Amino acid sequence: MDIFADLMMGLSIAITPINIVYLLFGALVGMIVGVIPGFGPAAGLAILLPVTFGMDPVGAIMMLAAIYYGAMYGGTITSILLNTPGESATVASTFDGFPLAKKGRAGPALVMQAAASFVGGTVGVVLITILAPMFSQVSRSFGPPEYFLLAMMGMLTLIVMIGTNWKLGVISALIGFALGTVGVDLETGQGRYTFGSAELIGGIYFIPIAIGLFGLGELFYAFHTGLHKTGTGGIVQYDKEERFWPTTHDWVSTRWTMVRCSILGFVVGVIPGAGATIASLMAYSTERSFSKTPEKFGTGEMAGLVAPETANNAASSGAMIPLLTLGIPGSAATAVLLAAFLLWGLRPGPLFMSQNPELAWGLIASMYLGNMALLAISIFAIPVFVQLIKIPYRILGPIVLVICALGTFSVHASFIETYIMFAAGIAGFFMRLYNFSPAALVLALVLGPLAEEALRQTLTISRGSFMIFVERTPSLWIIGVTLALVVVLPLMKRLGGGAQEAEKSGS
Amino acid sequence: MRISFLVVLLAGAVFYTYIAYTDLSFVTRTGRLGPGFFPRIVGSGIIVMTLWTILEEMRKQRPPESNSQQWRDVALLISLALGYAVLLRLFGGFVATVIFLGVTLSLLNRGRTLNNVLVAILLPIGIYALLDKALNASMPPALFDFIPI
Repeated sequence: MDIFADLMMGLSIAITPINIVYLLFGALVGMIVGVIPGFGPAAGLAILLPVTFGMDPVGAIMMLAAIYYGAMYGGTITSILLNTPGESATVASTFDGFPLAKKGRAGPALVMQAAASFVGGTVGVVLITILAPMFSQVSRSFGPPEYFLLAMMGMLTLIVMIGTNWKLGVISALIGFALGTVGVDLETGQGRYTFGSAELIGGIYFIPIAIGLFGLGELFYAFHTGLHKTGTGGIVQYDKEERFWPTTHDWVSTRWTMVRCSILGFVVGVIPGAGATIASLMAYSTERSFSKTPEKFGTGEMAGLVAPETANNAASSGAMIPLLTLGIPGSAATAVLLAAFLLWGLRPGPLFMSQNPELAWGLIASMYLGNMALLAISIFAIPVFVQLIKIPYRILGPIVLVICALGTFSVHASFIETYIMFAAGIAGFFMRLYNFSPAALVLALVLGPLAEEALRQTLTISRGSFMIFVERTPSLWIIGVTLALVVVLPLMKRLGGGAQEAEKSGS
Repeated sequence: MRISFLVVLLAGAVFYTYIAYTDLSFVTRTGRLGPGFFPRIVGSGIIVMTLWTILEEMRKQRPPESNSQQWRDVALLISLALGYAVLLRLFGGFVATVIFLGVTLSLLNRGRTLNNVLVAILLPIGIYALLDKALNASMPPALFDFIPI
């Protein structure tokens, strides 16, 4: 009953006129960002963070969370209508989404993806409500050795998921760690890599790097792939269809798909480093194996669209668990969200829910409302998003660049940070081009200082002995889970990758 | 190009690691781990991994990379972005954005002058209203201030 009482308290905080406005605005803007090809939740959060300045922390965090899951909703619209995924987590949605649209069922596909996202997101929030307090309880016994191991677990799982390019993933992560060492060493007070610059004493700030890598880097890469030259002739004109709403058969045939993929997506989302992309591919693959007509997958089967959509939204919710209860982000998007928390003077971790119950439960309660709002927005505002897709990238690109630059400056009114953002943008373009991992870099930049501090504290406690990591029960558990993930995750990825391969060969 | 990028990365890593070994101590006077402990591990790691990748790259025979048209457009946008960074410092957020959008759209979106002019003027006004007026956040100030915003 405690959970229920806490949730009610959260709802009372979240349901104020101004917070509802922030929530709706965040959900809408998140969807708009998600619709732009190449821009996912991480880019959306990084670019739009300055918009939250001047708000109270509850409203700001609610709006940022709405941007986060709104972007996940929006990414599918282009997958269905244009066969161009808004971001990697909606790649699996093109497999059956676009064939559905080509068959003249774009309307039902858009409504079903919104419903699937709603179910995935809502089941995810229900599971957060139940599990987050339990995770908080467990993590209270964690000390520096466990935090170091958790940070390493996040990095290791992310790198394992990168697969064949794992060496480039390791280099990306190490660059992130290196950038994280810039600034004054908190233990000794000695400056590191500051080169006499007063602006670097506090370290390289995370936001310019995130905006540069995910915003500008993606933009340059889109220009390199020629996205600015493609017209909008490929859009399926759904408004000419006779039937917009799904049939009863669509709902009935996918009801268990939604349940299965919500749970699967959430579990994958909780694992640091795995994320929504893997969840969606796995869900697609799993659902095909459950189906009585697997040969129809890839030809416009509704379950083939519902499965990845439910899973990627449930995974986004799942990724909030390690963020809220451990202060460890499991993905690039939650890393930006963590930076936003820190900006507001909030430190997520084991004590976060007990020390900031209003904020924590307000946030969780707002996610219920946000999913409902997004369901309505994503069905009734589809014409608006279709108009947005029609804006040529050659116009959208320069506008995004301006927003990145002015947004970065507005954070700390710093020209150095703006220049760092431009440099990170150029580096991000080459990283993207040569298969490095901007996500690993950003995650390492956030986790690096935490990992370094935890490792130094650990070795001070143990007087230099690394045996401390196997002498403590929680540490042993984390090592065990990490080893299990390192073995299991490649298998999971192969399962998801199998779906992609089968889809490619099928088409 | 991929190897060039890796070589630039290696050069940066060598510089980073050199500082870690020369300027930052591994342990403090009290015997605790010092500020150089982590950077030395990280720097050495980047060097080893980058060298490994470079050697692998050299062994591979790669087909020639993408056509020059792709590079021309992205080089143009990067140059314009860098120009915008300079303009921001000189003329401030509003004027620099008008100039940047005007020039960029006239190059990328040829033949639609009215559209381009409208976007180049209305968007900076919108952003100025949002950041400076509504959110009370800063727009980049100008070194040469000839418009009072």
